Amino acid sequence: QQIQEDLNKQFFDNLVNFLRQSHSDFQEKTPEWTRGMKSREIPTAALVLGVNVTDHNMTFRSLSEVLQNNITPYIALLEAKDCAGIKNLMQKLMGQLMNCHIDEDSLEDEDYVQVSQKRIRCSMTCLVNWYESATKKTNSGTPSKRTSSSSHGQYPPVVVILKDMESFSTKVLQDFIVISSQHIHELPLVLIFGIATSPMMIHNLLPHAVSSLLCIELFQSLSCKEHLSTVIDKLLLTTQFPFKLGEKVLQVLFNIFLYHDFSVQNFIKGYQLCIVEHFYSQPLSVLCCQLEDAKMQANALSHEQCENVRRLPSFRRYVESQMSEKQIALLTEDSCLKETVKELLEDLHVYHENYVSVLRCLHVFTSFLPKYPLGKQIRELHCTCLEDRVWETEEYESSLQLARMLNKSDLVTMLQQCVEIFVSSSGKEFDKIVEKLKEFLTQFQNLEEEAFQEQDVSVSSQKELQKKTDLYHLQKTLLELKESRRSKKLTKFEVLRFEVVDYIDSLVREHLVPADHKTLHEVVYFNTASFLREHLNAAPRIALHTALNNPYCYLKNQALKADGGSISNKAPDICIAYRLHLECGRLINLVDWLEAFSTVVMAAEGPNADAASSDQDDDIIHARFIRAVSELELLGFIKPSKQKTDHVARLTWGSC
Amino acid sequence: LAKKYKEDKMSNLVEEYFEAHSSSKVLTSDRTLQKLRKKKLNQQTLHDLLRKAPLAYDAEIKMLNQQHENLFSKWMLQLHLGFNIVLYGLGSKRDLLEKFRTSVLKDSVHLVVNGYFPSITIRSILSSITEEVLDHVGTFRSPPDQLEFIIKRFKEDSSLELYILIHNLDGQMLRGEKSQQILAQLSSLPSIYFIASIDHINAPLMWDQAKLSLYNWLWYETTTFGPYVEETSYENSFLVQQSGSLALSSLTHVLHSLTLNARGIFRLLAQYQLENKDNPSYPGLPFQDFYQQCREAFLVNSDLTLRAQLTEFRDHKLIRTKRGTDGVEYLLIPVDDGTLTDFLEKEDEAV
Repeated sequence: QQIQEDLNKQFFDNLVNFLRQSHSDFQEKTPEWTRGMKSREIPTAALVLGVNVTDHNMTFRSLSEVLQNNITPYIALLEAKDCAGIKNLMQKLMGQLMNCHIDEDSLEDEDYVQVSQKRIRCSMTCLVNWYESATKKTNSGTPSKRTSSSSHGQYPPVVVILKDMESFSTKVLQDFIVISSQHIHELPLVLIFGIATSPMMIHNLLPHAVSSLLCIELFQSLSCKEHLSTVIDKLLLTTQFPFKLGEKVLQVLFNIFLYHDFSVQNFIKGYQLCIVEHFYSQPLSVLCCQLEDAKMQANALSHEQCENVRRLPSFRRYVESQMSEKQIALLTEDSCLKETVKELLEDLHVYHENYVSVLRCLHVFTSFLPKYPLGKQIRELHCTCLEDRVWETEEYESSLQLARMLNKSDLVTMLQQCVEIFVSSSGKEFDKIVEKLKEFLTQFQNLEEEAFQEQDVSVSSQKELQKKTDLYHLQKTLLELKESRRSKKLTKFEVLRFEVVDYIDSLVREHLVPADHKTLHEVVYFNTASFLREHLNAAPRIALHTALNNPYCYLKNQALKADGGSISNKAPDICIAYRLHLECGRLINLVDWLEAFSTVVMAAEGPNADAASSDQDDDIIHARFIRAVSELELLGFIKPSKQKTDHVARLTWGSC
Repeated sequence: LAKKYKEDKMSNLVEEYFEAHSSSKVLTSDRTLQKLRKKKLNQQTLHDLLRKAPLAYDAEIKMLNQQHENLFSKWMLQLHLGFNIVLYGLGSKRDLLEKFRTSVLKDSVHLVVNGYFPSITIRSILSSITEEVLDHVGTFRSPPDQLEFIIKRFKEDSSLELYILIHNLDGQMLRGEKSQQILAQLSSLPSIYFIASIDHINAPLMWDQAKLSLYNWLWYETTTFGPYVEETSYENSFLVQQSGSLALSSLTHVLHSLTLNARGIFRLLAQYQLENKDNPSYPGLPFQDFYQQCREAFLVNSDLTLRAQLTEFRDHKLIRTKRGTDGVEYLLIPVDDGTLTDFLEKEDEAV
């Protein structure tokens, strides 16, 4: 658990840093802009943030931090849920602004002559807690505050951030804008709207009279997809984190992201959950750490853990491929096993380092191709590589073919670009494990030179063609040209061949499917997609339906086993009632339902029931029916209806 | 292929919906429970009867519960890592949560919220936190203020830990947007751990993106097949005698404490209503006509006494007055016809 917490933290820090970075450029713009603003209207910045509302908290927090540091304005952050009426809004605003004051003043109070006076005011606001500060009426508060803070040199603007513009009620918003526009001379106010949908929203929410009081500038934030791809770049495709995700799990996470919510935060939550589950359920996850630590851990393995290692399917495969005496040693002696485990772990580590760099390289190649047969984003490529052997897929074939077709000089420049990217990344992140990279590079350079030479040749031949005019020479030059063309073809071929070599070399060697070919991959890969799907993206209705329709799934009793669509009459009461209700239309007559129910139940008890006690039986069945029906009502399948006496309305339709 | 299959299924679902709602006419038989001549059971007898009925598949249900109980330690770990746990599936999850509470949480501060309880409010939940957990005396103006206070306290004091177990988070009273918002904000505090259960099929509709991210749910399927004893005991079923509308026993009780004349007045009204029961547009008895009839039967002697009498009825919710479009006051007894007939029969016997 310790390791895991560390990992979690590390990973989180990284993430926060990254998010900061990605917002920074856009944040830099806004402060500058707020500083520049001076006009009669209320300056307003509309930030178009996209639908992933949950990710915006971070943005706003860092935005207010940046503003605080750079321009000394007082910042209030308003949320729609706190501002049901204009009064609440004002109270919240005042409360937050007062608090801002206190923070600032305590830092810089030695600069002031009127410290004492201000102190009193501040201490007063300190003393009276939220209640009192909230009850302070806005009209008296606003101007006085401004005069007190105007000694901050040039008038610092007061920034009000409205986090979720869409959920504000129009009336409150309009009133607030109108009121603050009246005070704009004494109180330099800047509004920042956070908009999830589109800037059209402002005009829908505000009538012309109000929106004319605003001076709006639009700012666009990065789309969530770009966020995701950077997150993936930073998290999944580094060797920094020993923990990896399997292909299926990744697919599930991407699906949730792309088809459900676009929320990076949820993606991270899923990732976190994977980490927790991996370290919780997999006994060998102790080995999932940096290489040196992992080796230490491997030395300290207990006998039981060694047994666990032996039980791993990938390890078994490895053992089977060994010589017989080695096999025995591996299976019986712990020390031998530990040595092998260390080797294997190192192997795995090397494999990961190579994998990432080659994957990047391949991505650069394929992302230049038209139609992107292997996918546009690096995550898609990553998934295909994890899923199966890449070189066996059709897409890979077609991308190879496309690469062959595309052999023009501009491709060469593209290749060069790739190499540059690749060199920079390999120089930064890896300590050169594969000498191959350099080999590639020299090959590329050769290519370039040759291309130049060719160009020279062709140019000169062209010139020659223009010069010589008599037949003999013409024939000769044409022949030469032909020759040179052939040679040109050959050099083109070289590019091609080069590529093929490149592909085959790097792919066959390093792009192997982890699950298939790497021993001990269970230690670092988490691949239980069903677990994720169950706990993150649950489907309560399906669970209810199966439980009601087919109780055998849960209650393993032979009597409940039913074939096909029918249900056994020995099922729990609620299942029978549910089954009968499925056969009805929109309204259900309770009497008929009761009768059908009692028929089924009687048939189930038929053989041993006596006619004598039927009256009491009847009552009991009635009671059981009542229980089943009220349970169905609690579950939301039916509701009492007033349309007809003693009827209930069905709230679901069809047969589910 | 799978996608296509899914699409097929989707379109089927849509068609089924329109099929179900295509005709406004509903074909069901006209039989009613009234004609079944079966006495309505009340809550107590129902309970007794059900106790007699054996619970089927005891052993298997125990097995299921055992499986769920094995997850307890995992839940604790996940709760401490900032997730909250929500349980879904068929069957009451009350016993399971109780077991969790008694076995795992017995030494720590925890709060149990019965969401199925019809008079629970968000304010009472918050008050129990402030008063019993935080030992704070004093009142708050509104739940958001209270929430703010709680958040502040929990942020200041990192040693505070609180487990909140909610049975039926989708209960009638907690369903509202406001209460869910407040609960979500509570649950997002790192030192408050939530475990909740939901039962309603549309429970997830309560939560939007923002709330979901605050809640940070981990879903666990815990199908128990247990009977919803506590949960449905508050569910006013239409087959059980309803406490909401006037039942026969309460009707007779009230009337027995009245004077003879008052009883006569009520009888008159009841008879008149029963005579008109087949007329769907019957608006009730106009006051003037009623006064006339009462006078004729020597039950009242002035307009004023009748009005006083009617006020008393109204206080006991025995009658309802409605003003018609013509401005005339109409009188109605808000009791269904069957009960009224029974009542009149009983009265006849008594006389």
